[in-house]
Parts: sequence; C-alpha cells; structure tokens
Amino acid sequence: MLSGFGVVTLVAQVLLVVAGAPLLTGVMRQVRAYLEGRAGAGVLQPWRDVRKLLRKEPITPTGTGPAFRAAPLVLVATGLLVAALVPLAGTVSPAASHGDLIVVVALLALGTVTLALAGLDTGTAFGGMGASREMTIAALVEPTILLSVLALSMPSGSTSLAAIVTGRIDEPARLASPSSLLALVALAVVTLAEAGRLPVDNPSTHLELTMVHEAMVLEYAGPDLALIELGAQLRLTVLLGLLATLAVPWGIATTTSWPALLLALVLLTIKVTALGAGLAAAEVSWAKVRLFRVPELLAGSFLLALLAVTASYFLSGA
Amino acid sequence: MNTISTALAVSGAGALTGAAAGLGLPARIRSWIAGALTAVVGAAGLAAGASALTGRTWSASFPSLLPLAGVRLRVDALSGLFMAVAGAVVVAVAVYGIGYARGGHGPVASRPAQAVLPLFAATLVLVPAASSVSTFLLLWELMALTSLLLVLVEHAERSTVRSAGIWYAVMTHLGLVLLLTGLALFAAKAGGESFDALRAGAHLLSPTVRGLVFVLCFAAFASKAGAVPLHAWLPRAHPEAPSQVSALMSAAMVNLGVYGTVRVGFDLLGAGSRWWWLTVLVTGAASAVYGILQATLATDLKRLLAYSTCENLGLVFVGVGAAGLFHAGGDPALAGLALAAALLHVVNHAGFKALGFTAAGSVLRATGERNLDRLGGLRAKMPATASLFALAALGAVALPPGNGFVSEWLLLQSLIHGLAVPGLTTAIVLPLAVAAIALSAGLAAAAFVKALGVGFFARPRSPQATGATESPALMLTGMGLLAAACAALALVPGVLADPLARAVAASRLTGIPPLTGGELRLRLTDTSAAYAPLWLAAALVVSLVLAGAGQRAWRRRSRRRAAKLWDCGGGQPTPRMAYTATSFAEPLQRVFDDVLAPEQDVNVTHVRESIYLVERVRYTNRVPDRIEHRLYTPLLALFAEVGSRARRLAAGSVHVYLGYGFVGVVALLGVLTVLK
Amino acid sequence: MNQTLFTQLLDLACGAFLLAAVMVLWFRELTAIVRVFALQGVALAPIGVLLGIRQHHWVLVAVAVGIGALRAGLLPHLMRRALERSGQQRETEPLVNVAASLLLAAMLTLLAYASAQPLVALEPGPASEAIPVGFAVVLIGFFTLVTRRRAVAQMVGFLLLDNGITAVALLATSGVPLILELGVSFDLLLAVLVLQLLALRMQAAFGGTDLDTLRELRD
Repeated sequence: MLSGFGVVTLVAQVLLVVAGAPLLTGVMRQVRAYLEGRAGAGVLQPWRDVRKLLRKEPITPTGTGPAFRAAPLVLVATGLLVAALVPLAGTVSPAASHGDLIVVVALLALGTVTLALAGLDTGTAFGGMGASREMTIAALVEPTILLSVLALSMPSGSTSLAAIVTGRIDEPARLASPSSLLALVALAVVTLAEAGRLPVDNPSTHLELTMVHEAMVLEYAGPDLALIELGAQLRLTVLLGLLATLAVPWGIATTTSWPALLLALVLLTIKVTALGAGLAAAEVSWAKVRLFRVPELLAGSFLLALLAVTASYFLSGA
Repeated sequence: MNTISTALAVSGAGALTGAAAGLGLPARIRSWIAGALTAVVGAAGLAAGASALTGRTWSASFPSLLPLAGVRLRVDALSGLFMAVAGAVVVAVAVYGIGYARGGHGPVASRPAQAVLPLFAATLVLVPAASSVSTFLLLWELMALTSLLLVLVEHAERSTVRSAGIWYAVMTHLGLVLLLTGLALFAAKAGGESFDALRAGAHLLSPTVRGLVFVLCFAAFASKAGAVPLHAWLPRAHPEAPSQVSALMSAAMVNLGVYGTVRVGFDLLGAGSRWWWLTVLVTGAASAVYGILQATLATDLKRLLAYSTCENLGLVFVGVGAAGLFHAGGDPALAGLALAAALLHVVNHAGFKALGFTAAGSVLRATGERNLDRLGGLRAKMPATASLFALAALGAVALPPGNGFVSEWLLLQSLIHGLAVPGLTTAIVLPLAVAAIALSAGLAAAAFVKALGVGFFARPRSPQATGATESPALMLTGMGLLAAACAALALVPGVLADPLARAVAASRLTGIPPLTGGELRLRLTDTSAAYAPLWLAAALVVSLVLAGAGQRAWRRRSRRRAAKLWDCGGGQPTPRMAYTATSFAEPLQRVFDDVLAPEQDVNVTHVRESIYLVERVRYTNRVPDRIEHRLYTPLLALFAEVGSRARRLAAGSVHVYLGYGFVGVVALLGVLTVLK
Repeated sequence: MNQTLFTQLLDLACGAFLLAAVMVLWFRELTAIVRVFALQGVALAPIGVLLGIRQHHWVLVAVAVGIGALRAGLLPHLMRRALERSGQQRETEPLVNVAASLLLAAMLTLLAYASAQPLVALEPGPASEAIPVGFAVVLIGFFTLVTRRRAVAQMVGFLLLDNGITAVALLATSGVPLILELGVSFDLLLAVLVLQLLALRMQAAFGGTDLDTLRELRD
C-alpha cells in the first residue's frame, strides 16, 4: 500500500544518497589528504567537479554508438534504484517489497555490464582492456556475494532486505554470531572489488598497467563524464550503506514514526561517513595488488563466505 | 474432438504435407510453402500445449497404426509445457527460415532440407505426447534422424560439418541404446510398456533395478541435453547446422532431455532415492560452470551460444536435482518450487537462445563470418539484428530486467530456502550449488558482454563485416516474435504461475509451488520474498528519465559535438588495435588456467641480420575441450586399437571365414553339453 | 554465566580459531603467518577457559591458560627467532597456489563438517557442535604441511594440526588430563626446537629453507 510515510522514507533516503555521494567522496579524499600531509581540495570539490563537467559541451567520440551514450544514464539509474531498494533509513518503504537482496546485487551487476559494453563500444585498446578486466573481476565476485547473501538470509529465512534488517535489530545476537561476522567480512572484501577501490582497483590512477574502471571510461567527457563520476560515487555510497545497514542496523526506522525516520537519516549519514573515512584511512597504507593476484583475494573472500554458511550449521549461534 | 486432438492432427498433417511440398515443389515457392506449413505445425503444437496447460488432458491409442505395439499418445500439463515451448520456437523459427532460404539459394533451400524441416518440427512437438515406450522411442529416434540430416545440410561447404555429423550420429545413437536398454528393462519388470503400466508397476522393481533404469535413462537424456561430460557432440553439431536448425536444436530439442528426466524420474519411477537427484544436481552444476567457462573463451559466435546451452541446461538440471532432493527430504512444497524454477528456466532459455541463434544466423548470412575476432561494428550496419541480439544477451546474462533473471532468481530462492530441509547432503551440496550458479551467472555476463561488445559494437575488423547489410523483413519478423516472447516472459512471468503449478502437479510431485502470479512473490513459511519484474522495469525507466532530466536541467549546451577518439598522440586508432574476443577473454583464461589447460604457442622469427630485430611474431592460442581430450580421446584410441587388432581376424581367406563359423558351432554345442 | 552468553562467546572463539587457520593459507609473508598462528593460540585459550568456567573445572582453566601462553607466546617467539636467523621472509611458491589452496580449504571444511557428524550426534550441545571446527583445523594444518615449501610455514602447519587436535579434545571431552596435556606441550616445544635447528642447518647447507632441496640428500 502506498502510505505517505513510506513514500517520504523512500524519497528522503534516495535524496540523501544522491546529495551525499559526492560529499562522501570529498570526505574520503580529504581524509586521505590529511593523512598524507596535504591540504586537500575540500569536501565540496566533487560537487564542484560535477557542476563544471555538466556545463561543458557534450562530446561524442567518433565511432561510438548508442551503448556508449546510454551507459552513463544506466549507471546512475541502477544506483538510484539500489538506493531505493535498500532499507537504508527505514524498512517501511513501498520499494522494499518489490525486490530483495539478490535483485540489488543483480542491479549493481547490470551497471557493471553496461559500463563494460560502453568500454568495448569505443573500439579502443583502453576501453577493451578495462572492460575485459572489469568483467573478469565481476565474474569472480559473484559467488562470494551470493554465498554471503545465503549466510545472511538463513537466520531470517528470507532474502528480503527488510526482513533481514528487522531480524537483526530484533535479535542483536545475530549480529555477533561467527556466521554473520564472516559473511560481513566477505561482503566487505567484495564491496571493495565492486566499488573499484584499493587493493583491487585504484580510482585515481591512469596508468595502463593498473587501471580498470578508469580505462573503460577514458573516452567520456563533459556531462557524460559527470554522470559516470556521479554513478561511481552513488555506487560506492550505496555499497557502504548496504554494509552499514547489515553490520550496524541500529537506528533504522522499523515503524512509521517521524522522529525515528529523522534519527535514522542522521545515523545513516554518520555510519556511512565513518565507514568511508575508515576506508580512506586504510587505503593510505594499502597498495594495489596485481590483477592476477586479485583472484587470490576473491578466493579468500569466497572461502570466508562459505565458512559463514557452514559456521551457521556447526556453531549454533544464539 | 477437443482442442488438443485437433491441434495434434493438424500438426501431423502439416508435417506430412510440408515434407511433400518440400520434395515436390519448384525452388521458387518451395521454401515459402514448406516454411508456412512448418509454422502451422508449430502453431498447432503451441495450441495443443497451451490447452493442456490450462488443465485439460487428452489421451488416445491407435493400436493398428504401428505393428506389434501400436501408438499411444497422452497429453498432460507437463507434456503441454514442452509442446508449447517447442511449438512457439518452431513458429518463430519457421518464419525466420522462410526469409533465410528465400531466393532458393544455398543448401538450406534444397529439396531434402526443406522436406525434412517440417518433419523435425513435428517430432519436436510430438515427443512429449508419447505415452508408451515404443511410441516414445520411435518419435525420439525420428527426431534424432531428422535433426542429423539437417545438421549435415551444409556438408559440401565445410569439412567440419561432416565430423560434427559423425560425432552427433554416434553419440545420439549411443544415447538411444542406453534409453532402449533402460526403458526395456523397466517395461519388462513392470509388466507393460504403456506409461500407465509403467507408473502402476514401478513399485514392483527392486531399488537396484530402479536405480539402474534411472541411471541409464538419465545418461541418455543428459547427453541429449548436452550435460557434461556427455556434451561433446553439442558444441560441434549446433554451430555447424544451418542457423534456424541450430535454433530449433538449442531451444527446443535439448529441452526434451529435461522432459525425459522429469517424466521418467518423477512421474514413472516415482521420485526414487536421494542419490539419483544428487547425481542430477552435481551433473547440472558441473555442466553449468564448465559450459559457460568454455563459452567465455570461445571466439566462434555460434560455438559460444552452443556452450551457453550446456550452461543453461545445467542450471535446469540443478533445479530438477534440487527438487528431487527436497522431495526425498520431505519438503514437497520446496520440491515443487525447485521444479517450477527449472521448468521456467527451460521456457526462458528457449526464448533467448532461439533469438540468439537466429541473430547469429543473420550475422552469418550477412557476413559469412562466425569468428568474433573478425566481426565488429555491426550495430551500425544491422541495427535491428544488433538490438535483437542485445535482448537475447540480456536474457542470457541473467540480469534484470531480462527474462533469464526471473528463473535464476526463483532457482536461487528454492536453493536458499532448501537449507531448512534436514540432511547432511543438502547442507553440503546446496551452498556449493549456489556458488556454482553464481559463478556461472558471472561468467555468462563476461561471455555475453564479449559476444555483444566485440561482435556487434566498436568498428568492423574485416571487409566482410564492413560490407554487412540488414537482414530481410521476414527474418526480422521471426526474430521479433521471439523478442516479444522474451519481453513478455521478462515482464509478466506471473501469468505462468498457474500453468507451472499444473505442470509440476502432472509430474506427480505432491507439492504445489508457493508462487503467486502477477508479480513473482514467494509465500514460504515465515516471510515472503518478492521480485516484481514489471515494477522493477518501470522503476528503471523512471530512474533513467530522472537521470536524463537531471543532466539536461544542469546542462548549458545541448548540441553534441563529434570528436576524435583519444589516440595517445599517435594517429587515429585502427580497428586492429581494438580488443578482440581472444584478448577480452585472456584474463579469465589465465585465472582458470589449471582447469582449462589452454595450448599457447609464441613463435618469434628474427630478421636475418640481427637477433635483436624481430621480423614476425606468431601467436597461437587454442582452448581445447579438456573433458573431450581426457575422456573421449583415450576411449576412441582404445576402440581404434581394438579395431585394428580385430582386422587381423579378417584375413581374406574364405576357408578362415568358414572356419570361424565351424568353430563357433562346435564351441556352442560344447558349452551346451557341459551346461546340461 | 548464562547459556546464551556462553554459547555466543564459545562460537566467537571457535570462529576466530578457524579463521586464523584459513589466514595461514592466505598469507605469503612468513612473519604474518607466525603472527596469525599466535592469534590462533589467543583464540584457543578462551575455548578451554570458557569450558572450564562452565563446568567449574578450575584445572581446565589453568591448563587452557597454559596452552594459551605456550601457543600464543613461546612458540611464536621461537619461530620468529628462527625466521630472523634464516632471513627468509616469504613463502615464495607453494606447491598448490594460494587461490587453489583457499578453495581446497573450503572443501576440507565441508569434509570436516560431514565427517564429524557422528561425534556431534553423541552428545548434542554448543561445545560438541563446534567439534567440526577442530577437525577442519586439523585438515587445514595437514594440508599446509603437505603443500608449503618453507620450513617455518611447515612448522606452522604442524602446530596448526596440533592446535586442531587440542581443540577437538577440549570440545569433545572438556579437556584432557593435565599430565597428558603437559606431555604433549613438552613434545611440541621439543619438536619446534628440533625443527628450528634443522632449519638453521639447512640454511647453512643449502642457503635456503626450501624443503625440496632435501631431495639432494637422497643420492
């Protein structure tokens, strides 16, 4: 049923994610700059970049087709849709009953696939290289993600995110069970891979030996690039948001109460900012691993996810 | 006379007149008439199947039609599902085929090809209607023979067709032998050869015999469905057949392997024990991962599609196996759900794979090329075909809003909830099955991004690709029908909820799948999980519009300017610099090096004057089918060895041959004397 | 201590115990491997302590603390010393590559779970349900022993195996007799010292601690 409260929750969390995504990137860059002893460009810089890029002239590189032009839109659209489907602020939302955790994972993969197609569409060596590497990583990430989903959905008997989150709030013991912890660590590793962060991909490199995401989007400029950047930031934000929602679900509104919703939005901001800042601080001391060492990392996370599933049999939990 | 019997009669009559038309009519109108009659066969099959899916059944027996046993037919919801799928594919492919063969050129327009096509279509529709061992085997063999003839149609053009034909002929007949043995054993022990008698007599069989019957039949059915390790014929025969035949084989014929497994395993043998279904599930998971891994590395477009068939049928077998396991574990509702997911995947796979093969056929017709490394840039030359292939790829990668995602979602749901079923087997096998499905979905994404991105996007890499033109309208119409079916399956799969429940019920699984129509919603014990495809598609469109509107609102300048690609200052990139299918798959090939054991060879030729200057580098990369290499080659070598030894027996002397006979008679008499 | 809290803490300790074993396969740096081994000792001690407190079996608590001190303190210290002297920092090329060993470890865990079922069924309870963890660590330790080349990594494999056995003993029978445990610990210490000596000798003789070089001794 379309309740007013649900609609407000939905709109508020989507707006918060959209407005906050570039700011999160800004915070992360600022943390990194601070730790490296630089002044940094300020938290608002990503928004300024987006504005600048949007005002530039749209460019179509020769030989590219509809896939190249549609990809930025699809990337942003999947980000928006995921932001709507994940109960970031409240579980009472009209979107929550239309898709579950598997749908969320699949939507994120849809964004990856579209971008890879756009990379191939340019017909340049860089585009193909980025697409090839991205799809390799994406293919290997899938098993870990779905096994973690399996481990997380076992206690509540449903893959519906609202049910999982409500269950975890009602029974805090579930949070500290080995199965849940292992699944969260596994999810955290694949989140790094999905968001294209260190140690899997370096978002700030343009060296052909190492770049993955940047190689795919090398031909984009102007307003299209603005959407690509925004899409990548949205993706990072919703992934961190998903992780925060599953790891520390406290504060998410489970009833139709306005103060609870407001508190949930504030807490969401704090949780995601803290996660992002932590990630940025960790990244200062990490190095990017070689592309062919990434499978090792992903095999490790797969093992963790499988252990999470098995641990829920032999460690009876609460 | 009800709908089903009328439709079946029409289908049979259409096939016979179609065959006659194909043989008798002149080249100019042959393909038109034969094609139209094939479409009639398909439409009749679709009608019969749809009618059966609404809950009607029909059975008949014609004792005088065939000597000794007669012909028995029975159509219930389970056969109806497979008949409807086959019929729908046949209709679309027949329309496409008229366009493909128009103008009467090429071997596919020849008399034999046009005469056999309607017969093959009819067997596809009629096999699920058989309800006695003899009828089933007869139709099964007719299907194998007609498809073999069609595979061989282009044998004069390419030598590879002949070897593919031999592989297919040998393997399909080995399968027939297994099936014949299994069903004959079953019929002998159960005391009758009609399916009713088998069903009633299944409990008379000892568990060992039942297991043996199941293993024999499953081996035959799995080989027809292209399951590892009995898949060797599939990636050869499907690519070498003319494209509309490939579409029929890959989208309709392989399904009958699933039909057979469900019919014999659940319906006739009554579900049986746990290890049967464990075998089915493991076979399915192995085929899914191995098939899609080979597809990811394939550079031949049709070979890629054929290997993807192995993958998808593997996923179906995972569902069927899980259904059996849940049934044995005492959770009929979940068993029903798993089987419904498997059957839905059969339907979805038929849709996107038929579309994929027909689009690949259009590319082949326009360029003469199947090698992805030499294609490219087709989206500008053949925009309609490219977008139709994109739709097929969307289905195949199992991502929303495609149709493949719907059934994979259901399958995953059934496996995830299956952990509640008690038992060590489920606890260990199900997580691994989930991982296998996930890995195959991820690799499928890589495979189809490659097929679409390298084959259709970027710039043409060969003169043939540069000169491509769009296909004729009839071919596009055929593909359009399939595309519409895919879209409908993707957006409103809920309408199939009730028919699927009936099909599951017809397989004698007692559980009703907890599916609700409209949007796909699962009612399971405590909470429900839902996926609303129509809602999601609408939300995706809304988000796209929002993103576009946002971009427009902030934009100052709206005119797009064309610009050169970034060229590192070295002049415009040529198509030779673009990533090929081989280079795209190289990282995955390296990751799965231990599994695939690819053969690579780098040959450097130096300039005569100095070893520091390179004149030419030759790089070859081949990924042989390792299972084939390890399993079949030694076996074939063994047979060849035995054969060459046996040749010594044939010395050429008449006295020796007569001597064999004499020795045989004497030895037999001796043995009989001793035994008495 | 109430039942829920006990179960939860025990499960966490067991989870960390298993995780540490897996990490040994994941890392290449030998110092990191030794550190992870020490962490595993830290996780092993609470298992004994918890069981002891639960059953008011104070000797068990003392034994567990002793085990912890040995496995998390002394043995890692000895190995670190061996490492410093050998100058070998990395497990360069294990016989089975890291990704494959991780996947095999997953299979071994499932196998351990399946094969420990009869033991669990004897006396269902939070402690005995965790027995497969010990089994899994035994198998993973054995696997490390088989596939790693460096002497120190092998030592860790051997000690993992023993940690696993100790965990099974603790979980299944709530501890072994004190005297037995003391004997085993003494043996372990001796084994590590001997292995350390061996590694030093190898270092002197071959200039490395790759155990494959021992093949040369055959001829």
